[in-house]
Amino acid sequence: MPESNFLTALRMLDEAGVEFVVVGGLAAVLNGAPVNTFDLDIVPARDEPNVAKLLGVIHTLDGFYRMQPERRLKPDASHLSSPGHHNLITTCGPLDVLGTIGRGLGYQDLLPHTIEMEIGEGVRVRVLNLATIITLKEELGGEKDLAVLPILRRTLEQKQRVPFH
Amino acid sequence: MTDPDPRPQSDYSEDGVDLTLIHWMLSLTPAERLQFLQGHVNGILAIQRLNAGE
Repeated sequence: MPESNFLTALRMLDEAGVEFVVVGGLAAVLNGAPVNTFDLDIVPARDEPNVAKLLGVIHTLDGFYRMQPERRLKPDASHLSSPGHHNLITTCGPLDVLGTIGRGLGYQDLLPHTIEMEIGEGVRVRVLNLATIITLKEELGGEKDLAVLPILRRTLEQKQRVPFH
Repeated sequence: MTDPDPRPQSDYSEDGVDLTLIHWMLSLTPAERLQFLQGHVNGILAIQRLNAGE
């Protein structure tokens, strides 16, 4: 079973100069929401140089599609340039590379709705803000999204009441 | 003038969310939140491994 190591994966992406936004459950946790998640969801910039850097990190992390692990299918540049979702397993755990999220929102669309955070060992990453995470989950409206919404909404309320990190 | 009391008025919101847990999480830095999540995930994965043969 692969280990989980969010910080190592994020440090490698940061050090490689990959432009990306952390979204999903990990973004919610980094914003202070007491929820659990097992995967790292990112939305990368899909220009050619950035996809090349991202592919390099995925290669180093021995990433491949986790749907059919026995085939060890690896993403290529054309895959990661698409707006689709790429659910990978790596030596640092599950990594979901999302070309777009919500109603077709890509890296550039999300950028104004992010916060830069220091997440340990000097690693700084861009994280989707809580208000936008809530909006996206409301739009998706899936059972999993709706289940976590009360926690996200109350967290946002509490953050707005008292200044925290 | 005193600072506003950061503690929630009630332990739970009307929709049943544990506000004390939210306040505790918000008291941490993002790096500390990541450390906590990582520890949580690693703990669950360790239990899964222990029970993988069952």
